[in-house]
Amino acid sequence: MKLGVFAIKNLAQHKVRTILTLLSIVAAVAVLFTLLSFNQGYEAALKDQLQQMGVHIMAVPMGCPFESATLILKGGKIPAYLDMSVMEQIDQIDGIQIAAPSLMHGLIRPEEGRTDIFLGIDERMLTLKNWWKIKGSFFKKNNDIILGYNAALVELAEVGDQIYLPEYDKTFNVVGILESTGTQDDGFFYIPLATAQALFGQEHKITHIQIRVKDPAQADAIAGQLQNIDGLSVLTTAELMGTMLSLMGSAKTLIFSIVLIAIVISTLGVLNTVLMSVFERTREIGIMRATGAAKRHIFALIWLETLSLSLIGGTLGIVIALIGAGQIETVIKRFLPIAPQGSIVSLDPGNLLLCLAFILGIGVFAGLYPAYKAATANPIQTLRKE
Amino acid sequence: MITATGITKNYQRGAESFAALKGVSLNINEGDFICLLGPSGAGKTTLLNILGCMDAPADGDLVIAGQKVVTSGRRQLTDAKLDRFRRKHIGFIFTDFFLIPSLTALENVEMPLLWSGKPNRERAKELLASVNMDHRLNHRPTELSGGEMQRVAIARALVNNPRILLADEPTGNLDTKTRDTILDLFDHLNQQGLTIVLATHDHEIAERVTQVVRLNEGRLEG
Repeated sequence: MKLGVFAIKNLAQHKVRTILTLLSIVAAVAVLFTLLSFNQGYEAALKDQLQQMGVHIMAVPMGCPFESATLILKGGKIPAYLDMSVMEQIDQIDGIQIAAPSLMHGLIRPEEGRTDIFLGIDERMLTLKNWWKIKGSFFKKNNDIILGYNAALVELAEVGDQIYLPEYDKTFNVVGILESTGTQDDGFFYIPLATAQALFGQEHKITHIQIRVKDPAQADAIAGQLQNIDGLSVLTTAELMGTMLSLMGSAKTLIFSIVLIAIVISTLGVLNTVLMSVFERTREIGIMRATGAAKRHIFALIWLETLSLSLIGGTLGIVIALIGAGQIETVIKRFLPIAPQGSIVSLDPGNLLLCLAFILGIGVFAGLYPAYKAATANPIQTLRKE
Repeated sequence: MITATGITKNYQRGAESFAALKGVSLNINEGDFICLLGPSGAGKTTLLNILGCMDAPADGDLVIAGQKVVTSGRRQLTDAKLDRFRRKHIGFIFTDFFLIPSLTALENVEMPLLWSGKPNRERAKELLASVNMDHRLNHRPTELSGGEMQRVAIARALVNNPRILLADEPTGNLDTKTRDTILDLFDHLNQQGLTIVLATHDHEIAERVTQVVRLNEGRLEG
């Protein structure tokens, strides 16, 4: 028999108490590991998504540019509009490779519990998003429509099918379907810009312009020039990402504070359990001393019990977090204002090591006091104790 | 083997100081089977604890196996050395058997070897066989009778091969038949050369041993 086996047997002696303590550690570690993974995954996925957009600058109507940009990324009904005439001024600025105007309109479908996002675009969007692969063709007529990959799945539509919009009594012919891009583009319904302007009663209006510059290093300088155009609010994707990440940062601070409290409670729980078991076993500790155990043996035994509790609970917590990562991701995505299409939970070995270090920390810290208390108990008094 | 001179021990009971041992002097030779006889509260357990290096006297000298353990009430060994000394020379047996409930009979016997850093399952099995407990190796204390528990406790006390066995009312919780079996076992161990000091208030036990030391109110009598 080894000391570790003895420690495990002692824990097994009080099954319910051990299981309850294990559960508190499992919960704390699972939440910590998930949050760390989410934190890293979300940042990476957001960066990927913004890079995949191939857009360096976003021009939106005057107002809160971040709100508009967020709506554009996510898809929604934009409350303000720009006049198409700004395009002439934008085209005069040097260094712009392509500037693609769009009119975004959200069509709420309450009976189906969703909002269909219609995006009025023209050929310039095709140049901007030169990686798009369309099954079928681009618009040839005013009532042509191209469906994003997911939009086509929702509509169960194929090229050649028709889509009827009862709100506007208008029928569109599906001429193309986007191959999956892994971005928000997959969810949109694309119609010709002029058609969108007429259909949604916004003649000569657009909601935003996505711009790619020739040299990304010049993005800030060009954004400065664009800012001078009347009624235009400008945002670079770098700024947008920074803002989104800092917004997430506040939420993260709050979440991590809550996790920290959970960790403290969990550590105190372990400490309390081991301390209680030490008090209950004072006589056993006296017997061990009487049979030749030195103080360091008692200290090691009690500390091993705490470490075993922490390691078993922590490992289970990580395993549960790994198994449940998919489900957790689905839940988190539902609550996020902007959820990138890719995986937002990154299972990183660094996080795994951090969690293991944390588990050891709980074990080491929570075990110290009970182990000290047990080791320094007077064996004579402990043997007398009923 | 053991020389105790002028051992005193005081306990604090609230504000009052109570003398449990009042200058006890005792000489125990190797191979002796001594019975410490006295009523409850006479100081038997306190004396056993001091002889077993589990407790320190307020005053007096104690020499065990040639090693000065206490001189004029002062301990002569560090904690670590005292632990080692106790492991090597002294085995303890208690009235309530004091087995560890989470361990089997075999593991209980093996436990003291864990403290020596030399776990040895075979040695534990041999000892359990010597006390006729080899058929209950993997039973936990709750599955054993009183006599069986005490036999496991005796095997545990002997596992480090000590020279002295200290037994505090070892038959106090046993019926007469089981008591006799345990005493026969003590006789057998004593015949093999083990020094035994047994504390009891049972006069029948006193009749079976070679030497009786009477203790009353913290003093030796006669």
